[in-house]
Amino acid sequence: MKNIFKKISRHRLGKIVPVLALSAVIAGCANVTNPVAQDPFESYNRSMYAFNDTVDRALLKPIATGYETVVPKPARTCVAGIFNNLQDVWSSFNSFLQGRAHDGINMFGRVLFNSTMGLGGCIDVASMNGSQRIINDFGVTLGVWGFDSGPYLILPFLGSSSVRDGISTAAWFAIDISPPYAPIFEIDNIPLRNSILALAIVDLRAGLLPADRMVDEIALDRYSFIRDAYIQRRQALVEGRHANTGHTTSRGLPTDDQGLSVPDYSIDDEPAPSATPAQPAGQ
Amino acid sequence: MYTFLAFAHKQIRSLALTTLLGAGLLLNIAPASAQQPVDTKAHPNDFVQVVANNALQALKKEPEAKNGNIERINELINQYILPYVDFEKTTRLAAGRYWRQATTQQQKDLVDAFKNTLVRTYSGALRQADNVSAVTPLPFRGDPQADDAVVRTSMSRSNGPAIGVDYRLENVADGWRIYDLNVEGIWLIQNYRNQFAQQIAQTGIDGLIKALNDRNQR
Repeated sequence: MKNIFKKISRHRLGKIVPVLALSAVIAGCANVTNPVAQDPFESYNRSMYAFNDTVDRALLKPIATGYETVVPKPARTCVAGIFNNLQDVWSSFNSFLQGRAHDGINMFGRVLFNSTMGLGGCIDVASMNGSQRIINDFGVTLGVWGFDSGPYLILPFLGSSSVRDGISTAAWFAIDISPPYAPIFEIDNIPLRNSILALAIVDLRAGLLPADRMVDEIALDRYSFIRDAYIQRRQALVEGRHANTGHTTSRGLPTDDQGLSVPDYSIDDEPAPSATPAQPAGQ
Repeated sequence: MYTFLAFAHKQIRSLALTTLLGAGLLLNIAPASAQQPVDTKAHPNDFVQVVANNALQALKKEPEAKNGNIERINELINQYILPYVDFEKTTRLAAGRYWRQATTQQQKDLVDAFKNTLVRTYSGALRQADNVSAVTPLPFRGDPQADDAVVRTSMSRSNGPAIGVDYRLENVADGWRIYDLNVEGIWLIQNYRNQFAQQIAQTGIDGLIKALNDRNQR
């Protein structure tokens, strides 16, 4: 037993090490003009972001765009639904781990309903009947358990992450489980398994195309935009729109009872600018 | 005991029937009655729902706006959304500490440039208006008399799961005004603060205004 475990981890480690080495090579130095507290590795991150972006533009994005063009929408919706259904299993499991049993039960019901009436997720009958999709993963679970997200981190090939979420990804990878796609790895027919995995990746990327276009349109700087959105979104997931935890914000904002914090802009906004025209500070 | 239950059951059934009929009637009348007047001093939830529904209804009736006619979209936004939005505050908070370093003219230009960026952004989203079936406020749990409130809503769609959209409001002399927006956990202002700071650090406030305007021209 111990031997098997050793073998697996060595085998896996063998895969991780080249990736780490690669990232060390790719990560040169990028200029940081506006240092942000949550992103101390910005210089490395920007280089890795540029690398990922190059890979994406050369390989993934064209394939995903082709998929979007060639495959009719109903078929794509069906494929996305099936993979979403797999993800919902993982979300449900994590909701339970987080002690959010209500969410977990709802999501489990969703999976049951979609797997049967929805033909394995092909048709999202649960959403049509008003069931909310509560997405969750192990990184969020660690957050709920009290682990701080740590600095923002761009992973090679995988993109936006944080030290916490990255450790979660790497840990599952090291024990040879890749949630939420673990069931796919159970398929013994290797060509079939690989085709399904490829489809999962294409589906994932194609699902991001609209967001990608939007970021292109509105972001002044794609890197910052994506980083700040990622940090906010992850924090919102940890705090939980549906959870009832007793957070309070410094100003006693109305969100207290909802367990959600809202951004506090007061630091920059407090002294009325017009009331005190003579300000020696600043300029 | 059993008879009481049967009676209650019957009552509930007739009640349900009346409600259904009532709802049916309302639905029939709704297109004719069209716009509801906005009461900026109403409960925050009601205020947001009326504003959102009015804008949604107006959009659904406008084939031109849905096809991306930017002028028509601008007109609609000016009519249905901007009166209830404090855009200067949105820009001021996004600019953060740099706001006070800007001249009055720069502040004005920055507000305009940022507004155009966002209008352009949302004009893309507006093409999806047909898929939005309802905007439903979630239970309001704060103090409706406060100066600063958050209204949480759920936007249900015909072609996918519902999206969580929250609005941040301030209470000014003439009632509620929206100044920040959250889509699925991401606050708008928060997401622009670093980009603004970065651009200002690189090229100054004029550079930021220019960068925004350049994007708008594309």
